[in-house]
Amino acid sequence: MSDLLYNNQHIYLFVALFLLFCGIAGVVYRRTLIGMLVSMELIMNGAGLNLVALNRFVSPENGYGIAFTLIIMGIAAAEAAIALGIIMLIFKKYKHIESGELKEMKD
Amino acid sequence: MNVGEIIFLITVVVTLGGAAMAVLSGSIVYAMMGLVTTMFGIAGLYIYLESPFLSMMQILIYVGAVSVLIAFAVMLIGPLYRKPKEWTTIGKFAAALGVALVSLFMFVRFVMETFPRAVTPSFKITTKEIGRLLLNDLVLPFELISLLLVVAILGAIMLALFSRGNK
Repeated sequence: MSDLLYNNQHIYLFVALFLLFCGIAGVVYRRTLIGMLVSMELIMNGAGLNLVALNRFVSPENGYGIAFTLIIMGIAAAEAAIALGIIMLIFKKYKHIESGELKEMKD
Repeated sequence: MNVGEIIFLITVVVTLGGAAMAVLSGSIVYAMMGLVTTMFGIAGLYIYLESPFLSMMQILIYVGAVSVLIAFAVMLIGPLYRKPKEWTTIGKFAAALGVALVSLFMFVRFVMETFPRAVTPSFKITTKEIGRLLLNDLVLPFELISLLLVVAILGAIMLALFSRGNK
C-alpha cells in the first residue's frame, strides 16, 4: 500500500518546490506586471500543495493544512483583485505596464 | 505500475509543464494558459492527496475566479506587443535563474530531510470536519479572511473611482 508512487510525499514536496522555483524566477524575469502576478499565483499554489501534502503525510489526524489552504485561496483571490485594480490604474495613467519603466507611483 | 500511478505521473508532468510555460512563454496569454494548466494539475494532485473537497475548491476559486480575473485584465489592458522580445536578454535570464536556484537549494535540503512516516491509508478529513475546524479552532483566521475580502472589495471599488475622477 505504501510503496505506491502517489503515496510518496517527496514527489509532492518537490512539485511544490518546483512551483516556488518557477514563481521566483518569473517574478524576476517577467517584464509586465501581469506576468509577475501570474508568478505570484504559482508561488501561492505551491504553498497550498505543500500544506496539504504535509497534512496528509505528517499529521493525518486533523485537518489544519486543508483549512489553511482554503484561507490561502481567499488571500490569493483578494490579492489578485487588488493587484489587478492597481495595474488597471497604472495602465490608465502611463499607457503601459512595463515594470522596468515605472519610476514613481505618485504624480 | 498500475493505472493510478500512470495517471499520477501524467498529472505531475502537466503541473510542471504548466508552471514552466507560465514562466517561459513570450506571450502573456500563453502564460495565463500555463497558469490554468498548473491549477488543474494541482487539483488532480489534491485528489491523490485524498481531499476532493479542496480539489473542487481549487477549480472553483483559482480556475473559475482568479484566472478569469487575469483574463479580463489582459483583455482590458491594451496592446502588449508594442515592444516585442526586447526583454529576453541573457543577463536578465541568468539573474532570474540565479535568484531562483538559490531559493531552490535553500529548500532542497529541508525537503530531503523530512523523512516519511508510515502512511496511514485512512486519511478521511471530510467536509464536515473542515467546517467544524473553521468554526471552532480557526474562527479568528476565518473571520479575518472575511474582513480581508471586504477590505479588498472596497479597495478595488475605490481604485476604480479614483481612476474615473482623474479623467
